[in-house]
Amino acid sequence: MTNHSTPVIQTDNLSKVYRSGNKEVQALNNLNLSVRQGEIFGYLGPNGAGKTTTIRLLLDLIRPTGGSASLFGLDAQRDSVAIHRRIGFLPGELNLWKNLTGTQVIDYVARVRGGVDRKLVNQLSERLDFDASKRVRDYSSGNRRKLGLILALMNQPELLILDEPTNGLDPLVQQTFNDLMREIRAEGRTVFLSSHMLGEVQSICDRVGILRGGQLQAVESVAALRRVDFEYVTIRFRDPVRVDVLAGLPGVTNVTVDGNTVRLCLHGDYNPLLVALRDQYIVDIDTEEPSLEDIFLSYYGNGTNAHKPAETVKEMAS
Amino acid sequence: MTGTIFVETLRRNWRQILYWGISLALLGWMIAAIVQDVDILKQYEQIAKNFPPALLQLFGAEDAATLTTPEGFITYGFFGYSLLILAVYAVIAGLGVTANEEDAGIMDIVLSLPVPRWRVVLEKLAAYMLIMVAIIAVSFLGLLIGAQMSPVMREVNLMRLVEGTLNMIPSSLLMIAITTFAAAIVRRKNTATGIAAAVIVGSYFVDFLGKSASQSALGGVRAVSFFSYYDPQAVLVNGLNVGHVALLLAITGLLVAGTVWAFQRRDVGV
Repeated sequence: MTNHSTPVIQTDNLSKVYRSGNKEVQALNNLNLSVRQGEIFGYLGPNGAGKTTTIRLLLDLIRPTGGSASLFGLDAQRDSVAIHRRIGFLPGELNLWKNLTGTQVIDYVARVRGGVDRKLVNQLSERLDFDASKRVRDYSSGNRRKLGLILALMNQPELLILDEPTNGLDPLVQQTFNDLMREIRAEGRTVFLSSHMLGEVQSICDRVGILRGGQLQAVESVAALRRVDFEYVTIRFRDPVRVDVLAGLPGVTNVTVDGNTVRLCLHGDYNPLLVALRDQYIVDIDTEEPSLEDIFLSYYGNGTNAHKPAETVKEMAS
Repeated sequence: MTGTIFVETLRRNWRQILYWGISLALLGWMIAAIVQDVDILKQYEQIAKNFPPALLQLFGAEDAATLTTPEGFITYGFFGYSLLILAVYAVIAGLGVTANEEDAGIMDIVLSLPVPRWRVVLEKLAAYMLIMVAIIAVSFLGLLIGAQMSPVMREVNLMRLVEGTLNMIPSSLLMIAITTFAAAIVRRKNTATGIAAAVIVGSYFVDFLGKSASQSALGGVRAVSFFSYYDPQAVLVNGLNVGHVALLLAITGLLVAGTVWAFQRRDVGV
C-alpha cells in the first residue's frame, strides 16, 4: 500500500498535444491533479474534454508532450510495469479477442499477471451475473463490460482506473457496480473513474474533477458541490404576478414566469426576496437543490459563471 | 509471467502450421513426384524455350536449360514459388505482432498489464517466427516424400534439399521483421501492410531486373534486394552460403531491434 501522505495519482502540468500533419490539437493542458488513497474520484467532462487522454497518459499508453504523472509515487513512464502490477483498468471502449471465450480471456490475463485468486473471479462473475463460457463476439456490450470489470478487479488492485465504467450496464448491475466500488473504498483502495453521467458520480464519488477542453476547471468534494449557495425557487401566486418587483433583486437570477407561477434561481438569503414579495399573495413556495448536473452545467453553460459557487470561482481564478 | 504471451500466441496460431505447411508440402510433393523420368524435364525445357527469357526469370528460372536438371526444376517449381507464398504468410504474421491488436483496440488492455512493451513485441515475434520455421519444416516433408517417389529426384543429394529448405528460413524471417518494423513505425495497419508489401514486391522486382540486365548497371542494384541472397539454385548445387544467411539474419536482427525501439517510444493507437 501507498504511504497515506503520497497521492495515489499526481500530475504536474501534464499536457498532451496530438499532431496530425500540420494540425495540432491540445488534448490536455497543464493538468495538475492529485488523487488521494482510499477515495473514489470522479473525472467529469463531456466527450472530447480530455478524460481518456488523461487515463491513457497515466497508463503510459501515450506519452506526454509536457509535464509528468506519477502513480503511487512512481513515474508513470519509467516505472510503468511496477505501476501496472498494482492497478486494474477498464477502457472506455473495451475491445477483446473476439474468438476467445470469457474464460479464456480471464485465464490469459491472469497468466500475464502471474496468477490471480480464482475464488475472487468466481465471486465477481456471480455478483455481476456473468456467464464466462461464451465467445467474446457473442457477448452484448453490457456483458462485455462485465467481463472488463472482472478483468479490472480480479487482481485486487490498489488503484482502479475506469473509463466510463457503467456504459451499457443495466440498472441492476450498476447497483452491483456501485456496491463493489464502495467496498473497494472501504478497504482503503482507490478508484479513479471518468464519466459524463453525473448521477453515477453523484452516488458514489467522494471528489470530482471537472474537465473542459483539456483544462481542469475545478476539483471539489461531491458534498461541497451539493452545498453550493444557490437553489431553484418556484413560487405560486394567487394573482398574476408583477415581475418588476423581482427586477434587480440581489441574488435573484433566471426569472421565468408561467401564468401565476414564477421560477427563479436564488443565491444567498431569502430575506430580500420575501421583502420584495410582501404585497403579493403567495399560495405556495417550492425549493429545489441544484443537481450535480445543474452545477456541472453552471461550469459549462455558455461559458458564464452565473451559478458558480463563490469558492470554486476563486479556486478557478487562482 | 515471462513466456505467457509467447505460449498464447503459439496456442492461437498453431493451426497455421497445418494450413500453410500442408499446402506447401503438397506443392513440394507434386513438383518432385511429377518428374518420373528425365524426358519430362526435356519436355518442360521445350515448352520453356517458347517463353521470353524475362518471363522465366520472373518466375525464378535462370533460363530454359535450368529446367533440364532436377535441382533447377525443384528450384523453379518449389523453392521459387514457396518463398513468394511464404511472403504472404510473413506479412500476415508480421501484422500479428502489434498491428492487429492495436488496430482492434486490444493493445490498451495488453499494455495495461504488468508487461513491458519490448516483451510483448519479442514474445509474439518469437512465436510467429517459430511458426514460420515449422511451416517450412512441414513443407520439406512433402518435398522429401515426393522426391522419394521419383527416380529422377531421388538422385538429388538429400543434404542439399535440407540446405535448400533451411535457406528459406532467413528470408522468411526477414519478411516478418520487415512487416513488424513497418507496423511499429506507422501504427496504422493498412499503411503497414502497404509498406511491407511494397518493400517485399519491390525487392523481388529489383532482383528480377538485376538478373535480366546483369551486364548493365542494374546488375549491381540486385545487391539491395534480399531476394538476391536467397538464390536457391546455387544452394542446391553448392550448399548454403553462410555469408548470405548471416547477412539476412543480421538485417532481421536489426529490424527486430528497430521494432522494439520504435514501439517502445511511440503512442499506442486506438
